[in-house]
Amino acid sequence: MKTVFRVGVLVTVFLAAQPPNPLTAQDSQFGIRGLGTPGKWESVRARTTGGAFGPFDAFSPLTDAVLADVRRMSASVTNGTSWRSVDANGTQSSLKGTRFPAMVIAGPVTPRIVVGGGFSTYLDRSFGVVIQDTIDLRGVQQPITDEITSDGAIADLRLAVAARLSSRLALGVGLHRITGSTRVIAKRTFADSLNYRTTTARDEVAYGATGGSASLLFDIRSDLRVAGWFRSDSKLRADVGGRTASENDLPLTYGTGVQWRAGARAAIAGTVMWRNWGSVHSLPNAHDTFNWSLGGEIGSPASPFRLGLRGGQLPFGVGKAPSEVGYSAGLGRQFSGGRGRLDIGIERLQRTGAGLTERVWTVLLGLTVRP
Amino acid sequence: MTRRLGYVFLLVAAACTENATAPGACPNFCPSDSIAIKDTIYTTIIDRDSSFLGYVPAYQAEAMTAADVPGVVDSRAFFTTDTVLDRVTPKVGDTTTVAKTMDSLRVRFVIVRRPQNTTNLRLRLYRLPVALDSASTFLTLDPAFTAAPVDSLNINDLLALPAIGDTQTIRLWGDSIRVDAAGHVLQIHSIDSTLAVYFNLDSLHAPFSVADTGRSAWGVRVAADSFASVTLGTTESGSNAPLARWFYHYTIPDTASATPDTVAQKDKTVPNRFDSFVFEPPNPSLDSNLTVGGAPSARTLLRVAMPAALRDSVDVVRATLILVPVNAVPGVPSDSFKIEAHPVLTDLGAKSPTATSVAGTTFIHIGSADTVKIELTNLVRSWALDTTLTTAFILGQVPEAASYTEIRFYSSRTPAFRPALHVTYVKRFRFGNP
Repeated sequence: MKTVFRVGVLVTVFLAAQPPNPLTAQDSQFGIRGLGTPGKWESVRARTTGGAFGPFDAFSPLTDAVLADVRRMSASVTNGTSWRSVDANGTQSSLKGTRFPAMVIAGPVTPRIVVGGGFSTYLDRSFGVVIQDTIDLRGVQQPITDEITSDGAIADLRLAVAARLSSRLALGVGLHRITGSTRVIAKRTFADSLNYRTTTARDEVAYGATGGSASLLFDIRSDLRVAGWFRSDSKLRADVGGRTASENDLPLTYGTGVQWRAGARAAIAGTVMWRNWGSVHSLPNAHDTFNWSLGGEIGSPASPFRLGLRGGQLPFGVGKAPSEVGYSAGLGRQFSGGRGRLDIGIERLQRTGAGLTERVWTVLLGLTVRP
Repeated sequence: MTRRLGYVFLLVAAACTENATAPGACPNFCPSDSIAIKDTIYTTIIDRDSSFLGYVPAYQAEAMTAADVPGVVDSRAFFTTDTVLDRVTPKVGDTTTVAKTMDSLRVRFVIVRRPQNTTNLRLRLYRLPVALDSASTFLTLDPAFTAAPVDSLNINDLLALPAIGDTQTIRLWGDSIRVDAAGHVLQIHSIDSTLAVYFNLDSLHAPFSVADTGRSAWGVRVAADSFASVTLGTTESGSNAPLARWFYHYTIPDTASATPDTVAQKDKTVPNRFDSFVFEPPNPSLDSNLTVGGAPSARTLLRVAMPAALRDSVDVVRATLILVPVNAVPGVPSDSFKIEAHPVLTDLGAKSPTATSVAGTTFIHIGSADTVKIELTNLVRSWALDTTLTTAFILGQVPEAASYTEIRFYSSRTPAFRPALHVTYVKRFRFGNP
């Protein structure tokens, strides 16, 4: 088992050493016309419960107060590979991507205070569109192909402190630095490649913002826990070549959740969350969103089975807000006497909006180590 | 457990491939900005345009034209050979020489370009005075060219003959040949379809002139039912040069025995001293228009004032030079020619050095007054990106000074038809906006 533990540590270190840029969540075509696709601030454990365990799982970067549950220095990393089918007005396409959407590392500095940090995806901006058209050039109908790609994401770097104020109440606050960049390419090729040269524009867009979060965790009874959280961020600035290209407001985020433990071998939870993306005034198709989740975990703590259900809305889309429904399931397995835990899961998402439907299968893999 | 973990991570690693590109459902699911293309004809950015004469004279050209188009041009090609000694040392080490007896002469011309559909295409061979040089003109040579020809051959008739390809012919000629009843030989080059024609002249038709130290000069005129024009290779073209080959014999006196003297049969290909062509009427002198071609050759220098809009922030995808001819180029359709644009490295006017690379090229069709367009995309792209480059180029004929043909374009002095640059470019994509 020592070998397993070493492997776990090595993999965690390796994954944690990845730069923030590729640490992106699932992409969506709905995010192309907006600021991006919001990331899911959840570990594999939380995600396989539909996100319902997010505010109660210390390794989900959703809330800060839950870090107070961390008793030892610990680290967790999440990996997900998605297969996405897109149906845009009858045009089908299949896409694939592998992402590292979240990493959390935390440890107690005093018996009551825990400090943690890590990164997660705030907005994913990886996409590529191919547009074929015919334009009139010099009096001749000229077929063209445009390919516009964006590769990167906006990451949320978090430094958080959680304090257990009493045996029933924990409070957490976090500072967030929202940063990241995307490599963007706009390329046009002409069918008449003999006379018209392919044109390619490349650039790198750097993003930056700051934010703060606060949350609390209250145990109403020994088996019933509620959580509440709030987050506010500054304007998101996009710089191209040192020049500010745009500034957009980021939403307020607030939500609440409840978890009930039915003994030592079962727990269920549910959450609701609101984000006022509609305040991003410069974007005409931004919508406020409401998301909910419901999930449970059964079995021994060493090897639980998880199920989850989620629903809600995406912030960017034509007309009314696109909807998202997801189902997930997963397993966890402790090893090395509880010093490590491997979580695997599978998630099915369906996103529906005006003119577009996306169906996503995601295989999730998470590793948590407590050296 | 270790093995299972390994499998899981191998699976994850194998899955690390990306495919994020899908057909765009625009405008709702595409970026807000799009690739914007602009198409503009800049009519005033070409200025300070001039033509200059005398870059390549006819006698330095890599080809020469023989043509006879009534009312348009009469062009005649010629060459003269080097000295041929009339005596020879019969044996190595001998201090005495014996006289050569010249038996015959074979004169070769290589036709590098000819009209394909004309009929009864003939070459007429004339013997010219040997004192030919760059001062020779159409008028000074006219008496020799209007005398009776020494010989004549019909190219169409030769082409219609069956090829002789027996092993002996191949051994001697290197390829199959066609021979008419008069002994004229035609050989089609296997690589580029040029035609080599040979006149076989006996000593009556080609007497050896001791007074001229064995030098001889030969000229050709062309005739046909229509479109009489051929382009011949010159010494500058290398293997296509006109050639004169003397066949002779001499007697080797046998002083050591009672056996009769030996007769040696020899031949000698004589190096050329000079070749060129003359034509009437000559190219008109330069005027306010832009001239390209002719002999001696004229080139045109065009300077471009690059607009600020084309610098840095746009991507040029196509740039086309537009030139309006003053009139159609007269002549034979097969004399259509190519003109090339070469970037100027440093603007020194007529003597500006040019890059060896070709920025653009086009074909000028005889008899057509259509607007001439030359694609200069790469050149204009380089100007847009590199402000240190000289924004000028020179137009020249290819090959230069090989023909009577020249084209004249309206210059910037004629505002309605001045040279223009048609540029298609893509504006900078506005990244960073949702």
